[in-house]
Amino acid sequence: MIKKILIANRGEIAHRIIKACRELNITSVAIYSDADKNSLHVRRADEAYLIGNSPANESYLNKEKIINLAKKIGADAIHPGYGFLSENSEFIKMVEDTGIIFIGPSSKSVKLMGGKTDARTLMKKNNVPIVPGTTEPIKNIVDAKKIAKEIGYPIILKAAAGGGGKGMRKIFSEDEFENSYNLAKSEAKKFFSNDEIYIEKFIEHPKHIEVQILGDKHGNYVHLFERECSIQRRHQKVIEEAPSISVDELTRKKITETAIQAAKACNYYNAGTIELLMDENKNFYFLEMNTRLQVEHPVTEMITGIDIVKEQIRIAEGKPLSFSQDEIKIFGHAIECRIYAEDIDNNFAPSTGKINLHRLTSGPGIRIDRGIDVMSDVPIYYDPMLAKVIAWGINREEAIVRMKRALSEYQICGVTTNISLFKWILNQNEFEDGTFDINFLENKFLPLVPNKWRNSDSEELINVVAAIAAIMKNESQDFLSSKNSLGKSSWRDQIYE
Amino acid sequence: MNEYIVTINDIKKNVKVISQEKIEIDGREIEVSFQKISPHSITFKYENKVYEVAINKNGKESIRFLVDGWYYDAIARTKLQESAIELQKNISKEKHHTEVKAPMPGLILKIKKKIGDRVELGEPILILEAMKMENDIHSPASGIVKSINFQEGQSVEKNSTIIVIE
Repeated sequence: MIKKILIANRGEIAHRIIKACRELNITSVAIYSDADKNSLHVRRADEAYLIGNSPANESYLNKEKIINLAKKIGADAIHPGYGFLSENSEFIKMVEDTGIIFIGPSSKSVKLMGGKTDARTLMKKNNVPIVPGTTEPIKNIVDAKKIAKEIGYPIILKAAAGGGGKGMRKIFSEDEFENSYNLAKSEAKKFFSNDEIYIEKFIEHPKHIEVQILGDKHGNYVHLFERECSIQRRHQKVIEEAPSISVDELTRKKITETAIQAAKACNYYNAGTIELLMDENKNFYFLEMNTRLQVEHPVTEMITGIDIVKEQIRIAEGKPLSFSQDEIKIFGHAIECRIYAEDIDNNFAPSTGKINLHRLTSGPGIRIDRGIDVMSDVPIYYDPMLAKVIAWGINREEAIVRMKRALSEYQICGVTTNISLFKWILNQNEFEDGTFDINFLENKFLPLVPNKWRNSDSEELINVVAAIAAIMKNESQDFLSSKNSLGKSSWRDQIYE
Repeated sequence: MNEYIVTINDIKKNVKVISQEKIEIDGREIEVSFQKISPHSITFKYENKVYEVAINKNGKESIRFLVDGWYYDAIARTKLQESAIELQKNISKEKHHTEVKAPMPGLILKIKKKIGDRVELGEPILILEAMKMENDIHSPASGIVKSINFQEGQSVEKNSTIIVIE
């Protein structure tokens, strides 16, 4: 039995894991960097330890420090969350060697699936369809160009050790090849300490569909159906939903069977996700396996009722899965919007600062997983995701109207967020009828940036804002003219604190 | 009675503040009231419609509003301030140089040009790393690099002028 879990992560996912620990009566331990001393995950954990300086490689990526701390404080398990060390097989091996339980798959499975080219080879061998491309990393640029020509442009370059859109470049013609290759290589080197790059054919109008699987240490596997994550920008997911509006029963049967086949091929246990590309004819191809908990796991939890994090902990303890495949049904529909600290009209620049207002939305069908609260800092060092708004409805229509309602109620100050982007997306016909693909934002939204996408701005709201701005200005003018009197300080000046 | 020009994106609104409860906008008198909820949020009544608004400073004069999931940046100025700003804008239009500014805080990984080099509009001139991504920054103008204010490896704040092109 696990008694104490060190959570080797930060932000909303650390907070999420703390909640699971509390429900299981397990002591939760947060680690934090200098920049995160005011973070919500630190406030919510049972114990919290400073791990190092703000840059991730001195804190959340510091394997030795994290393992030594776990030993010192008597943690019997480490949960890695997502990102950071979650898919680092070397780290997982180090944890395994100390006898501490790693809440996730074995280092062997992660290694098998972590090298993307190795994973492609393994999948091919196990009859899982893969996207045409190389199964070997690029050795030299002349050969690579030749292969790209054979596969046919457009192609995509990917970091063999990559993920999250880093070290990834789309190329339309040969003359872009060299520059893009160098950028991809240097990004790959920086983020994954591995600059191997491989080539894949770029599939037109694809959807990103993924299947959540769970496996225990006794060889039992279940799937928790699919998620659709086609609304993306620069390969970062923005909206996810479950189930997918584009997956029919027959396709669902095929992709879930394929996913379990893929998981079995690497002797997988714990929670994992098989990511697939699906074309317009519902052909699907293996993209990669995420050997960890996903950001978007809540939409699956909402439609199945399964608490994936608690299930992860049970599996890590060596218990068999607590349910069988035929006990799991899809109930309703769930959508997740990722709230990022970014300024869309300023080239999506990350927005940093201290949160000084955070009013959560609630009500029927709404769940918020968040890493911030009032007085939290949003530093430059880490991913700019602040929170996830998840809406559940009895069907997709209800999930969408609940999401719209919830987003209108959400209030946050201190950083600029992408909330308005969702207001735009959720009102598009392509979103409503499900015809969007993974290029939707790039093709339909980006041409409207900056500012042209705000067509839905109403005269009414403009007048409201103008009225408030003028009244505030008027107050500050009054204050300036009566500076020497004992008048109370102006309201506008308080906001300016 | 005080009159203000409020600029929201490219829209300008004339607003007269008659009293705490009454304003005039586009020549129409409107009954308003506001209830402060916290230093950053209010409930605002415009005629009889109710709005919940989050409010935050955004730069020297600009205030950022969040209402019904939409952001608005607004600057309110007196008529005198507004004409002074217009005058200044016309002066700066006569200068013929373009500044390459950091669109986000980040780390300068590479500067691809030296002082005196020719650059073309849209040419990648530097790489800025921010939040785990390498971003190509493209030249906003064609011309000659007049000055470079930072070195590779240095961090820059948002809106710092990195390169000046003439």
